[in-house]
Amino acid sequence: MNPDYLDPINALNMPEMADTTFATDFLIRAKEGVRNTAIALTETASPDARALLRNQLRQGIAMHQEISDLMMRKKWFHPYELNEQYQLDQLSANNTVMIGQMNLFPEDTRRKGLFDRTPDEHIRGNQA
Amino acid sequence: MTAQILAPHESMELHEALNFKTLCLAKSKLMQGIVFDQELKDLMQKDVEQSIQAIAELQAVYARAPFQAPVPTNRPTPILN
Repeated sequence: MNPDYLDPINALNMPEMADTTFATDFLIRAKEGVRNTAIALTETASPDARALLRNQLRQGIAMHQEISDLMMRKKWFHPYELNEQYQLDQLSANNTVMIGQMNLFPEDTRRKGLFDRTPDEHIRGNQA
Repeated sequence: MTAQILAPHESMELHEALNFKTLCLAKSKLMQGIVFDQELKDLMQKDVEQSIQAIAELQAVYARAPFQAPVPTNRPTPILN
């Protein structure tokens, strides 16, 4: 891969690297969810709030397990062979830094004025 | 036990939990349009369905926060910069 976003060589292995990144994002959100819920649970007093959070904590732990298992099966995550994980981490960092340096969104993307009004408001059609 | 008003601290915890779960739902939904792998997409769909259920439960308890108020149908003043 190289910093030229028009170079087709960058499409090589891209889907696999992209899915690795999306799965990792999914995994860290699940981890964050479990940790946040556990802490939230230790600050709640009301019985039904506790029951709710305890249930969501269990569900979060199960989802985290499922994501981890999928990632290991797909070789997107290597908790046992850390030299593999190391290579993946560094490669993903290099690729993502290159993407970060690309000039991908140069045009004006504000477009906010296009939404919050009726179609003909600018010619006072809405007062017709 | 009647619907008791929540304690202050747990109300803020529910505020955090609800916002976090809402964002996780948004992201898992959005990512389904981007991921390549079907199994990953299916697992995200499962997360979406669980999150929708969890949000309903969180909203119900969060409604008993001491600072609760009627929920508007949309933002009162659109922000145009």
